[in-house]
Amino acid sequence: MADLTIVQHAEAPREERPARRLSAGALCALPVIGLLALGFAAPLVAILGYSVATPRSFDVFRSFTLENFAALFDPTNTVWLSFLWSCGFALLTVALLAVIAYPIAYGLNRVFGRASAFISVLFVFPLFVSENVRLYGWVLFYIKNGVLDGTLKWLGLNGGPEVLYTPGITLFGMLYTYLPFMLFPMTLGLALVPRDLVDAARDLGAGRLFIWREIELPLAMPGILIGMLLTFVLAIGATAEAKILGGQSIIVISHDIEIAFTYSQNWPAGSALAVLVTFFIGALTLFALSKLDLDRMLGRR
Amino acid sequence: MAGISRRSLLQGMGAGIGALAAGPMIGSGPALAAREKELNILCWEGYNSAQVLDPFRSSTGATVKAESLTNDPTMINRLRAGEINTWDLINVNNPWARKVMLPEKLIRPLPKAEFEPFFAKMLPEFKWPYKWAMSEDGAELIGMVQRFGPYSFVVNTDKVSRKTAEDTGWDLFNDPALAGRYGILESDDWNVFNIFIIAGIDPFKVHTPDELAKFEETAKRVFKGAKLIGDIASMNQALISGEIDLHMTGGTYSVSPARADGHPNLRAITPLRGPLAGGKGGISWIEVTSTVNNPNLSPLAIDFLKYVQAPDVAHTVAFAEGTFNPVAQMGNPDCFKLFTKDELDAIQWESLGEEMARSVEYDIVPDYDKALDIMNAAKRLRG
Repeated sequence: MADLTIVQHAEAPREERPARRLSAGALCALPVIGLLALGFAAPLVAILGYSVATPRSFDVFRSFTLENFAALFDPTNTVWLSFLWSCGFALLTVALLAVIAYPIAYGLNRVFGRASAFISVLFVFPLFVSENVRLYGWVLFYIKNGVLDGTLKWLGLNGGPEVLYTPGITLFGMLYTYLPFMLFPMTLGLALVPRDLVDAARDLGAGRLFIWREIELPLAMPGILIGMLLTFVLAIGATAEAKILGGQSIIVISHDIEIAFTYSQNWPAGSALAVLVTFFIGALTLFALSKLDLDRMLGRR
Repeated sequence: MAGISRRSLLQGMGAGIGALAAGPMIGSGPALAAREKELNILCWEGYNSAQVLDPFRSSTGATVKAESLTNDPTMINRLRAGEINTWDLINVNNPWARKVMLPEKLIRPLPKAEFEPFFAKMLPEFKWPYKWAMSEDGAELIGMVQRFGPYSFVVNTDKVSRKTAEDTGWDLFNDPALAGRYGILESDDWNVFNIFIIAGIDPFKVHTPDELAKFEETAKRVFKGAKLIGDIASMNQALISGEIDLHMTGGTYSVSPARADGHPNLRAITPLRGPLAGGKGGISWIEVTSTVNNPNLSPLAIDFLKYVQAPDVAHTVAFAEGTFNPVAQMGNPDCFKLFTKDELDAIQWESLGEEMARSVEYDIVPDYDKALDIMNAAKRLRG
């Protein structure tokens, strides 16, 4: 339809062409463009505007200063600590989930057979419950005299370990929350590994480790990388785990942004921090995506 | 193009983005639309509950939207950022209306003649002309009062007795033996007050560099020693389970739901003495609800303020979902008789008078920004 429109326009004399008439495709896309402009671009532009506004003011688009960014790079500003915690925990989450999710993804593809669908649902099901509710559930599980501690004491044992309100439990919460986001792209990646290729390698005498390293892993890599990227992007912005399970034993970067917008009454500082984190994640995502062949991953060629 | 400068272009973009940012409230009324049947309330939780709003909705047939937030600066920032055209009522703690919102023209005065009679039926300390309901010059009525309470810290009296807590006061948080045994409520404006008090400094004044250095040292130590920082539910849960024995920033507002739930051993404490004005050791808050300086203010705003003064509605507000609090309208016997013994126990009615007397009223810290930055930096060192 779009091609036809272009041809008609090309044949029409220049002066008779309807002025700036939109193609049917563009017309159909208008609502989506409008929605994206309103719901996606506008807040980002507002955040960008605030990031260069006078500190502790609401002079958005009426002032311009780089003071907010300069303050972030001030050696006395310890916000880098929060950034390090977020990056470090996001990297740890990705690394650990890659190890945890791989055997499950392998099982869903090759081992569980007809039970795979049911097991997949078990992993998806928690996503239907609010993350905060699930995390408060874990608090009740681990809290003193809670489900774990109370049960162990009832059995005459010493009680559960004191793990709540520590950085370790924050990491546990992130692993729990983001497991599905690593698992399903990885499962998809592994599903794209042809069985024939594995069988042929085995027939030719390749060992299990060799097959995994030379065939399975490289062929499943696009799925694994998408999973890692998705998990990293979500995990670096995680707040609830550190707040609810970790009792703020560490302060993460998204929490710092939240504080700037609330108690600090400093929207420009919060915006500058948000812009910096967004650019960091954006650059990382673009870099990773440039290394991925999505067509190949989705089996289009 | 000659008439367009970079500045005007930026201003135009700003207006456009502002309009887009207000997207969620589109439909709540452009400037000229009639707003007889709609009301938007920005408030602390409770006023947004169905128990409070539904009867008003039924009786007026109005669409009432209420959004609750849990700190004053955020609510005031919403008005400053351009939502003055959206909201009709704003409900924040006592000093903001008089010292910030009225001078910044974010709120507008109430008709005195219509509201003065309500004060006669309030508790004695709220009698007309009640300071926080009036403008600085005393000429204008700028809001109505309802919920209030002392707000210092909370203890589990099975672990720290009321007498010890009141007598030792804020020094409990200086005691190394209690490190890892206390929590800190995530209420950072109040935490700034309390860190100053723990450091032995009155928060409500301009501070010297030495005082700020002491504040920093105290903040680092107190935050490092906290078992957890969290919301009210987390604090009460941690107290009940035995994870902590006490928590900083807390009072009837935060602990009353746990007390009402059968945990009378958890108790709001107001220290007997401290570095506050007059040697007082506690801080109290009083909510003031004001009409926003909305160019197209809903007439229902005034009606709603009158509606919540009724004895039964005031009782509902006191025990709306979330937190339970005393209300100024308890001075009216018709309102007071609606409170059961358990409800009075939950809000520590028996000691409320003396605790309020031992408290100074919530105020604005002149160098709050500086202190908050120091405190946030101290918080980051917890990890």
